[in-house]
Amino acid sequence: MSVKTATTTQFSAEAVRALSELLDEPGWMLDLRLTAWRFFEEIPWPTGTEETWRRTSLRGFRLENYRPFVPDVLTEVEAEADLETIYREHLAELVSAGELVMDEGRAFYHRLDDTLAAKGVIFTDLHTAVREYPELVQRTFAQQVPLDANKFAALHYAFWRGGTFLYVPRNVEVTLPFQTLARLSQPGAGGFYHTIVITEEGASVTLMEDFFGGERGFHAGVVELYPGPNSRLRYTHVQNWEPTLWNFGTQRIRVPRDAEVVHLIASWGSKLSKVWVTLDLVEPGARGQLLGLYFTTDHQHIDHHTMQNHRAANCSSDLLYKGALKDTSRSVYQGYIKVWPGAQKTDAYQANRNLLLDGRARADSIPGLEIEADDVRCTHGATAGQIPEEYLFYLESRGLDRPTAERLIVAGFFQEVLERVDNADVRRKLETTIAERLDVDVADLGLEVDNNTDHNG
Amino acid sequence: MASVLEIRDLYAGIEGQEILKGVNLTLRQGEIHALMGPNGSGKSTLAYIIMGHPHYEVYSGDILLDGESILEMAPDERARAGIFLAFQYPVAIPGVTVANFLRQAVSAVRGYTAQKDEEGPVGSNLIPMREFRKELTEAMQLVGIDPSFARRYLNDGFSGGEKKRMEILQLAMLRPKFAVLDETDSGLDIDAVRAVAEGVNRLVGPELGVLVITHYQRILNYIQPDRVHVMYDGRVVLSGGPELALQLEEKGYDWVRQQFGNAVKA
Repeated sequence: MSVKTATTTQFSAEAVRALSELLDEPGWMLDLRLTAWRFFEEIPWPTGTEETWRRTSLRGFRLENYRPFVPDVLTEVEAEADLETIYREHLAELVSAGELVMDEGRAFYHRLDDTLAAKGVIFTDLHTAVREYPELVQRTFAQQVPLDANKFAALHYAFWRGGTFLYVPRNVEVTLPFQTLARLSQPGAGGFYHTIVITEEGASVTLMEDFFGGERGFHAGVVELYPGPNSRLRYTHVQNWEPTLWNFGTQRIRVPRDAEVVHLIASWGSKLSKVWVTLDLVEPGARGQLLGLYFTTDHQHIDHHTMQNHRAANCSSDLLYKGALKDTSRSVYQGYIKVWPGAQKTDAYQANRNLLLDGRARADSIPGLEIEADDVRCTHGATAGQIPEEYLFYLESRGLDRPTAERLIVAGFFQEVLERVDNADVRRKLETTIAERLDVDVADLGLEVDNNTDHNG
Repeated sequence: MASVLEIRDLYAGIEGQEILKGVNLTLRQGEIHALMGPNGSGKSTLAYIIMGHPHYEVYSGDILLDGESILEMAPDERARAGIFLAFQYPVAIPGVTVANFLRQAVSAVRGYTAQKDEEGPVGSNLIPMREFRKELTEAMQLVGIDPSFARRYLNDGFSGGEKKRMEILQLAMLRPKFAVLDETDSGLDIDAVRAVAEGVNRLVGPELGVLVITHYQRILNYIQPDRVHVMYDGRVVLSGGPELALQLEEKGYDWVRQQFGNAVKA
């Protein structure tokens, strides 16, 4: 494959065409990409005066510092055997119904349980899905997060590469989780993973995605979840990027009649992260939980912007975002509950809790409510505080040194979110990432005591 | 040889306000002492200072464990040296289970560290799960705590009596040389006091020295002290045998005030 250097080193319409050609895509996808590129050019760069950008600055971010894609990823990456070892080690931590491993958007390991495949479950990378299941992809791709949702979503759609496509047919219930590992191995490259999960009526599924790598990189991702009526969808997004990466994400979930969704984002990595998560409850009986975990260190800046849209009656949404902050790091949480006219009997909760482990860290919480129905129950709250000295003294009086006492309290602080994750394997995997973030072996966190009784293995 | 905890002419306070004004007290391993006194006499301050609470200041005097000063030691070091405080108001720590907390504490106090081979540490720095579970089950039985508490969050939503029993469970697991029980009977009804006292009685023996701090005599109906001390205005003003507690019960603290109030003011 020969692609002119200039077209692959700068973001441009030519680069969009070159990427589409490299991926050997159908015409409709190229058209979509070019439309998105035009949106990207039209949407102004955030200036910091927009409400969503007031507390998160893009100073220091230069798009021209990144390559839009890596054409020769095959030859540039380490030997596949090496990679496979790394990924197998990651994957071994979780017993799953299927695994998908990608690097720089290219899938190179993929497994789907045979019996699930026979039932019509599709679990593959999105490029394969575009070729093999065009109707399903066209029905869903960019249908929830529009091409012009924001500047970074537009850029994403112009240059998207790689991602997970998971489809579960009617009444198929998958107990084991699916797992995706998405890596960026090339320093200074842009990454654009896209996730689509569809559950048909009465189906049930769990997907856990792990994003990592991306040294001096930048990532603009999109996640679209499509639970069908009366289905159950659990999605866990673990953001473990290198601390030199700029991360932007737009995630959206549309929940129909009697469906239930649990969406969890764990933001551990990146230099700066700005993620929009929107939950639309569109038919009666829809239920959604939005969960968030973050632990920021050094100069990290993590910004979550959530929206709970109650568009129909008898729906419930429950949001809990908990973060611990160290050093001079900073978190921003902006959350909005909107109850539309006619959405009676709405139950909506929203809580953001922050634990400041350092007097220099800062957590901003901006909750908001807009209620246009009269028979609703809505509560929201935000807190930020340090570990009470009495907690530390109590634990120290039992022989724990201060770092151990702090780690135990932070792990306990996150537990309130973890206990809402009903899949034990996913919970264990999250605990492992928490332990990594706390710089301690997961065994030393001692959480196995708690898990022991509900572990079937 | 039995260990000795000695409080020697201790002057201490908080934010420049002197509360302890020359406390002397010696406790040997295997002995039970009661420290009684009216509210505000400095009993709880003494308990906190023995454990090393960072808000309190020691102006002069010393606390010696087997002849070595512990004043420079952090609370966790004191715990590892064999000192234990059962809190009057134990804190609740949401998200941290009783079992995990105790496993961490037992491992720290007993100095567990991971085995190492050429490639680094093998296993964890915690007491092995099997061993720990067995010990915890036994200790819970001993102090009368339902096994289901192991998975509950530490003191979170516990009743007053459950919190105090949890303190005694920790005492059972950590096996210190000296335990200070700070108003362990306060806020409990008589059944709860008896239950907690029974737990303590199962733990006493030649390996444990206990200082029972209490306002009321009633807990001493269940825990028999070898010595009774009366604290008033920052000093131990009276010491005697178990009969002293009964005398106090009869005469009340006004009797102490009348006897020692003037002397202290001077």
